[in-house]
Amino acid sequence: MGKLTGKIALVTGGSEGIGFATAQEFIKEGAFVFITGRRKPTLDAAVAKLGTSALGIQADSAKLDDLDRLYAEIKQKKGKLDVLFVNAGGGEFAPLGQITEEHYDQTFAKNVKGLVFTVQKALPLLGKGGSIILNASIVATKGMPAFSVYSATKAAVRNFARGWTADLKGTGIRVNVVSPGPIDTPGLRGVTDGTDEGYKQFTDAMTASVPLGRVGQPEEIAKAVVYLASEDSSFVAGFDLVVDGGFAQI
Amino acid sequence: MGKLAGKIALITGGSEGIGFATAQEFISEGAFVFITGRRKEVLDAAVATLGPNASAVQSNAENLNDLDRLYAEIKTKKGKLDVLFVNAGIYSGAPLGQITEEHYDSIFGVNVKGLLFTVQKALPLMGKGGSIILNGSVVAVKGFPALSVYSATKAAVRNFARGWTADLKGTGIRVNVVSPGPIDTPGTRVLGNGTTAALDQFATQVPLGRYGQGNEIAKAALFLASDDSSFVAGFDLMVDGGIGQI
Repeated sequence: MGKLTGKIALVTGGSEGIGFATAQEFIKEGAFVFITGRRKPTLDAAVAKLGTSALGIQADSAKLDDLDRLYAEIKQKKGKLDVLFVNAGGGEFAPLGQITEEHYDQTFAKNVKGLVFTVQKALPLLGKGGSIILNASIVATKGMPAFSVYSATKAAVRNFARGWTADLKGTGIRVNVVSPGPIDTPGLRGVTDGTDEGYKQFTDAMTASVPLGRVGQPEEIAKAVVYLASEDSSFVAGFDLVVDGGFAQI
Repeated sequence: MGKLAGKIALITGGSEGIGFATAQEFISEGAFVFITGRRKEVLDAAVATLGPNASAVQSNAENLNDLDRLYAEIKTKKGKLDVLFVNAGIYSGAPLGQITEEHYDSIFGVNVKGLLFTVQKALPLMGKGGSIILNGSVVAVKGFPALSVYSATKAAVRNFARGWTADLKGTGIRVNVVSPGPIDTPGTRVLGNGTTAALDQFATQVPLGRYGQGNEIAKAALFLASDDSSFVAGFDLMVDGGIGQI
């Protein structure tokens, strides 16, 4: 018997990286999983790999109409939602002095505004025993060059979990955060120059500061999300579970 | 196949409460578990309940000779240690103005000095894949009346995990903290003078509206003990119903 047997889960940004690994882990633990993504071919390929306990819905979390359509479909197909992993998001580098209005608007729209309405519009489908997990980042508490806007969005995300834990008191719905450190994903590769050598230089520099001496794998975040999604964490609320190899801890 | 199949674990203060619940959880996940305690009869009763995959060693965590004897016995019986949950600790209150030297010495003696040498003396038995879990408390980051000395010991514990994560870099041994919030254990019931009224009142301050149970900490300790947390290091996992979070 899996830890999520009979549960209905939604993983936004579930086509690849951490979202995809989490969808796999949820299914292994017995859940039915909806995943979203913006690009249809990537989404279809992911669902093909995930099998019959997964369904893909093309949606952009920054578009409120897409979210309405998403939850209407979940309601129609399954009638409820038990686990929500708000994973969609992303960031690009821009050092102070070169931050454009577009950079600011896009990063906050994706990581903050999209996340707020992904959660709020899910509430009518969630009930007692429900678990909401927000994907943040250790950069919420660390300064890194050219990453200030992304960091600020993630600090906002961490704080939503505090406020919403207070707002949801008495509902039986828990809200927590998972904060990855450096994880080997397409997203991490995307912020480098795209070459294997460039990626290696980037991760070598980073892992020198990681006590465990390596970057993490998406499955290692997925296991943490399962912990937060399941009854194993029934007394954990408003918390930020940091999975970073110790990077931001010491 | 359990998440701790074939693993040897030690849980200090394992006779009751959180330690005992964690011993049960570890055994159900396939581990062999040593537990320690100061009182022989309580320890014996615990092992009788835990069954053949548990062994008790009477020992006081602040007595360094006891620790030497404890690890000698684990070495003889099993030859190694994979998981160490340093759970033994004491809890008592004294408001500023009434803090005695004895209060200070006893709490720091067990919760800080005892914990430090429980970990250091375990190292020769531990290797790659090893996991050390220190029992902290949400009071390490919160102020509560009359708990300043206890709070300070737990802040020290949380910081040991940072320093030791740096010291143990390259060994493959991870160190983390689990920090319980208000948990319904024999320890907390004593505080309520045997009544539940004080506990019920306090529960209203918890976002989840209740006390936690020992097994809810055990599940967190299991997460940190197992490979499920293989990229978690130097971290403080708070299981507090949200009281230290919002």
